[in-house]
Amino acid sequence: MSSIRARIKPYRARLLLLLAVIGPGIITANVDNDAGGITTYSVAGAQYGYTLLWMMPLVALALIIVQEMSARLGVVTGKGLGDLIRESLGVRITTLILGLLVFVNLANTVSEFAGVAASLQIFGVSKYISVPLAAVGVWLLVVKGDYDTVEKVFLIASAVYLSYVASGLLARPDWLEVGAAMLQPSFHLDVGYITIFVTIIGTTIAPWMQFYQQSAVADKGIRVENYGYERLDVLIGSLFAVFVAGFIMIACAATLFKHGMLVTSAEDAAVALGPLAGKYASVLFALGLLNASLFSAAILPLSTAYTVCEAFGWESSLSRSVKEAPVFFIIFTSFIVLGAAIILLPIQSLVQAMLVSQTINGLLLPVILVVMLLLINDKRIMGHFTNGRVFNILAWVTTVILIALALFLVFTTFFPGVFGSP
Amino acid sequence: MPFVSELIGRSVADVDGERVGTLKDLLAARWGSMPHPQIVAIEVKRRSDTVLIAMTDVAVLIAPAIPLKKKQNEIECYQPGENDLFLLRDVLDKQIIDTNGVRVVRVNDLELTRVNGGIYVANVDISGVGLLRRLGLSFISRRLSKSGRQITSPGTISWDNVELISGDEPMRLKVPGEKMAELHPADLAEILSDLTRQEGSKLLDSLDVKTLADTLEEVEPDFQASLIEQMSDERVVDVLEEMAPDEAADLLAELPEERSQELLKLMEDEEAEDILKLLAYPEDSAGGIMNTEFIAVPPLLTAEQVLDVLRESAHEAETVYYLYVLDEESHLTGVLSLRDLVLAQPSVPISEIMETRIVTVDLNDSQEECAQLISKYNLLAVPVVDREKRLHGIVTADDALDKIIPTAWKKRLPRMYR
Repeated sequence: MSSIRARIKPYRARLLLLLAVIGPGIITANVDNDAGGITTYSVAGAQYGYTLLWMMPLVALALIIVQEMSARLGVVTGKGLGDLIRESLGVRITTLILGLLVFVNLANTVSEFAGVAASLQIFGVSKYISVPLAAVGVWLLVVKGDYDTVEKVFLIASAVYLSYVASGLLARPDWLEVGAAMLQPSFHLDVGYITIFVTIIGTTIAPWMQFYQQSAVADKGIRVENYGYERLDVLIGSLFAVFVAGFIMIACAATLFKHGMLVTSAEDAAVALGPLAGKYASVLFALGLLNASLFSAAILPLSTAYTVCEAFGWESSLSRSVKEAPVFFIIFTSFIVLGAAIILLPIQSLVQAMLVSQTINGLLLPVILVVMLLLINDKRIMGHFTNGRVFNILAWVTTVILIALALFLVFTTFFPGVFGSP
Repeated sequence: MPFVSELIGRSVADVDGERVGTLKDLLAARWGSMPHPQIVAIEVKRRSDTVLIAMTDVAVLIAPAIPLKKKQNEIECYQPGENDLFLLRDVLDKQIIDTNGVRVVRVNDLELTRVNGGIYVANVDISGVGLLRRLGLSFISRRLSKSGRQITSPGTISWDNVELISGDEPMRLKVPGEKMAELHPADLAEILSDLTRQEGSKLLDSLDVKTLADTLEEVEPDFQASLIEQMSDERVVDVLEEMAPDEAADLLAELPEERSQELLKLMEDEEAEDILKLLAYPEDSAGGIMNTEFIAVPPLLTAEQVLDVLRESAHEAETVYYLYVLDEESHLTGVLSLRDLVLAQPSVPISEIMETRIVTVDLNDSQEECAQLISKYNLLAVPVVDREKRLHGIVTADDALDKIIPTAWKKRLPRMYR
């Protein structure tokens, strides 16, 4: 029987189960730290120093709760979230939610291209060159690239996130101070603080993540018996995402905040890091931003096209010709074209586009969460895999807090000045 | 005729005009040979509960307000049968298989029709017009059609050509409708790639071993492996024995080593041996893709005798169009096409009519070289030989071309998602 070895990769047998399951959670979490996210964390660190760090463990907990539910829905039903919403809640609610999702995802895609423009501007590349190149490159990679290449590219991209950890270390933070800040909750009732608060949550637990991860899990065909591994995948991914986010905040807090420099964007942060933490910290920061932006600019349009087609029953495929899956191609392509074009047109400042999209994320999130909770507690759909009592309480509390924060944000946006100006 | 979505939500009143509630769902059942299910009962939502009312108690279903034949307190509850479909709950918004178009689509609406006093489900609406109707935006499609722009998308499928996929009731696909059984394995494979993993496994469970083997042969090996992951060893063994040895070898190579060893032990010795032989060669070599079930004949027979041999032994062979003439030590001495054989005088020895200048490939030649030779010499299959010209197998045209023109099933989109 030894002849069989020639064609069987030996590592496969041992790692098969783990490798087969690990993936969706980690990839999703990586796309999570996209251009908008990095901007938000930088601004938060530069403006508020270490004082927002205490919320990161809580954000991680909320992220784990939400993503665990999404993974469980995927494993048990074998269907994507768009699919489930359509089958359980009908056409109208589906159209409403997906309409909002398309809008938010488009805003996010715009912010990804803004990230590409911003990061390459640091190296002196004009956005009129970088953005069209990035758009074409991303389109070709996804449509023409064979999947093995694409997968490898994405895996390498994931490792580049560690550059933020390096930047954070190069910034030589005072670790005692960091530790103290983690344990010391603080809260201010001013609009700026609340906005950054909601924005951090909105960018860390972005609505597209639930759709993307659930489709990924369902498509992977993970069996219910192996759900433990998938849970591990979600856990590792979520912790990694928040870990990286924390380091971005630390890097900016240790340098920019200490020297009283105000920045409003990730590229400001990258440039400003130079004299304070050394050239390498600055370059690493910019490279991280470029990588994150490209990574997410590929995933977001794909995920949106997939979700919409899945829910409405249109053919979704990359390898069929455009003729066979027209809607899929139209959505995917127009996302990239629009995302890139909006950045090139002098309509809106880049930074505004980035920050606004993260805030809208925070507003859509509670809606998605309520729907997910309804689905996951439906015995007809989940059998005995519905939420346990404790988990349900945690999940609902998270949802209610998010709703309250979102309402608060809307309120302060429409009635500024109630809680004092930022 | 009316659509289900238009009826849902209409008010239901009893014989005295007293309001009972609103229409929540329709129950349909299939009778014998009638391909379209008939509406047998309605589900009515009352203030605090729901009630099932048999169609025999409904005066008119297709009406702005639905009147019953009895008084509210005289209504007897309808007991749903095992095969009753709740149209809203089980069919609307769900995915179905369109067996005619060979694709998986989503149900936007259901069209009803009246035949001999009964109301039947006529068509499944999968069109954009159906979507707009559900959203209460029919005016858009009306306006478009008035303005002369016809939106005649192939929007409806007759229930004749529909197969349900039900995630909730695993029983439904257990007996695949005749419609699925009639599909070509390549079409089944196509549908398989459109279904979710869970639905896909259910579909596979419902197929007989022969169809299952044929269907799996149409699917890429890594997808095959994930499909049979959950099948019992016995079933997989049956399937492997049914598959052509080269396909079976590809499949085994994709599985974890322990499982493939296990399966090989369970297989009949002869079949397992064939597969092991193939597994020794690289995946893309002639040895790796060749088929060992070919027709070999000794050189001394006459054409008539060879035809007899063919009748007896050709059932197992992948192709009957070429016969390979071997000496006692399996050296390939000649090739005979079925055409040569049939046109020859029955008494002629085949050594006289066989072709002796033979195009062959070596065991280690690449798949592409096989394809090129096949294309150059217009062959249906090319024999695979070792250095001593002993015949080991044949590579058929479709196996060789697989690499250049991938099998027709679409690559599953989301490798990125995996």
